[in-house]
Amino acid sequence: MSLSLKLFRTTAFRLSLIYALTFSLLAATAMGFIYLTTKKELMNQTDARLQLEANILINQYRAKDIDALFESLQQKQHDSRTSFFIYVLVHREQKDITTGFAPEYTTEDGKQAFATLPMGVLLKTDEEHDEDPVRVLLTQLPGDYQLLVARDLNDQQKVLRKIYNTVILTILVTLALALAVGMIFGQQVLRRIEKVRNTAGEIIDGDLSQRMPVNRRNNEFDQLSRTINSMLQRLEQLMHGMRNVTDNLAHDLRKPLNRIRNRLEVILLENRDEETYRETIAQTVEDTEELIKTFNALLSIARAESGERRQDWTEVDLTGLLEQMAELYDAAAEEAELKFSADIERGLTLHGNRQLLAQAVTNLLDNAMKFTPKDGHVSLCARRINGTIEVTVEDTGPGIPPAERDRIFERFVRLDSARSTPGSGLGLSLVKAVASLHQAEVDVSARNPGARIAIIFDTNTEE
Amino acid sequence: MTTIMPAPTLTEGYRNIKLSSSRFIRAAMRPIIPAMHTLLVEDDTDTATFIRKGLGESGYNVDHADNGVDGLHMALNGQYDVMIVDRMLPGMDGLTLIEELRKRNVHTPVLILSALGEVDDRVDGLRAGGDDYLVKPYAFSELLARLQALARRSQPEMQGTLLQVGDLRLDQIKRKVTRGDTEIQLQPREFMLLEYLMRHTGQVVTRTMLLENVWDYHFDPQTNVIDVHISRLRRKIDKDFDKPLLHTIRGAGYSLHEP
Repeated sequence: MSLSLKLFRTTAFRLSLIYALTFSLLAATAMGFIYLTTKKELMNQTDARLQLEANILINQYRAKDIDALFESLQQKQHDSRTSFFIYVLVHREQKDITTGFAPEYTTEDGKQAFATLPMGVLLKTDEEHDEDPVRVLLTQLPGDYQLLVARDLNDQQKVLRKIYNTVILTILVTLALALAVGMIFGQQVLRRIEKVRNTAGEIIDGDLSQRMPVNRRNNEFDQLSRTINSMLQRLEQLMHGMRNVTDNLAHDLRKPLNRIRNRLEVILLENRDEETYRETIAQTVEDTEELIKTFNALLSIARAESGERRQDWTEVDLTGLLEQMAELYDAAAEEAELKFSADIERGLTLHGNRQLLAQAVTNLLDNAMKFTPKDGHVSLCARRINGTIEVTVEDTGPGIPPAERDRIFERFVRLDSARSTPGSGLGLSLVKAVASLHQAEVDVSARNPGARIAIIFDTNTEE
Repeated sequence: MTTIMPAPTLTEGYRNIKLSSSRFIRAAMRPIIPAMHTLLVEDDTDTATFIRKGLGESGYNVDHADNGVDGLHMALNGQYDVMIVDRMLPGMDGLTLIEELRKRNVHTPVLILSALGEVDDRVDGLRAGGDDYLVKPYAFSELLARLQALARRSQPEMQGTLLQVGDLRLDQIKRKVTRGDTEIQLQPREFMLLEYLMRHTGQVVTRTMLLENVWDYHFDPQTNVIDVHISRLRRKIDKDFDKPLLHTIRGAGYSLHEP
């Protein structure tokens, strides 16, 4: 589609077209009113002048007689100053002027009538002026005399025509200007949209680093572009995260899958006793168990991150939940020959998802237990601090190096110290996702020795 | 290394081995009533064959429907002790099927199988009228244990407030546990744990079942917290007595029964 065709379809152009038409119509109405009023006023003035002139003549006639009037008219006709008017005084028998313009005209004394006639009716002129209009005032004088005072309307017509032309011209210019402005605006809008579209096209083609152009003018378009850009920023981050996850997933799942496959293939090639078969299969089932756990963890994280089903949230009795957990892990710690302590404030509640909260704290405790050597210490602590609720898990394990403190929340990231322990590297990702879902911060700090991870829920901003 | 055996043999072989591997838990998992009538509504042929075979070997009588409409028809016209219903079915989805059943006053216990495993999905399933919810992929022993628990739930003698297994007695109202003449002191959670085990005496109870029903956790902690609590309980109820009542079923879970 060509640009000009597109232009007609733009909203900006259509809007300016509608404005242009509306404005021109209003202007035309106003001008038309002015034109008509002027025309009427000019005619009124002409009529008043004619009436005045006729009255003077009639008064002359009344004061003297018809001959004096004739003379006066003769005089006026010759006088160049008054050539503005045309005077006719004829007897009805000589020529009945009334037939030309007023058939209903009666011969009553003093009767007067106005009319607009072509000049040819009154005067012999060169042909080109025959059709020029004249305004006449006919007065019936006694003795069947008809006095006609007329005035050439040519000048008036000229003025009117000029006004008329001006009116038309104004309307046309207004329309043209409005259209032009509309076109320019439309063009500008179209160009901006074209840019946005091109950018979007490139993004569709896979280049997520593209951004919408932003001008310094900061108009609606720039604001829109800025919003879209932050959306793109977020999308790019998510895509980047996804790609990372997919890469890691492929890597982390391929290894155990390959192990399972190799083991099964080896056992197929060799003839072994039933006990060996059973052992191999038991190992394989355990491996698939691990794979399933990894998948489930990933799903939980994805669910927590997408923030689905928030309407299902309830008021969670955090104190009760954490005490139950402390009880659950107290025994496990004893078994693992660790010291475990819990310090949980009474009456803590949170608006949230109980299962996800439980799982997040469980992950922290699992980690702490896993990395703390024998006779170490793990503690679970929860308390209210200045409008926040802090749930803290501390251990006396190897700790987390400061440089790694952001990285540990990424999926599948396992620190070197964790290489030898079982785990998927997803536990802390879930903690982070659950915390974000509950608008909470996760704070990592060091203890000497060990690590301290706190989930800080802001209870002030909670809805 | 390349696969030398043709693929079908591989699959066939694996399935046989996997089924027979559960034989050692089967003794503890025999249904209480012989030839328990089970309706399986599952559209995936492989899964259906696997479940039918496994349940058949464990003494269940299994009818199978491969779509929701047939499943509903069979459930309404047959007499079943327990049903297994897949959530995603052609014709009519599993939840609708269960809702229809409940609307028509059929209260056969239903175990829902589903690939959707979040708490909310579980809640949806139970709200529709399901009695238990098992997420794919699952261990066959888990399926068997839950099925048994469901079938048992409809047995009236397990209601009531006085529970007894051998000489172990639990009084729910007095919150008192005795074995023989000895009174045993239990923590509240241990009491709940024992109560659950006693209500399912003779059955295998899996770790997941305990987590869900005693702790209300719908996820697996990495630490073996359940094992630890079971061994604490065992110390209290079995250690000082001749005959152990609380047995570990390898690869499946625990079972509380008379020796």
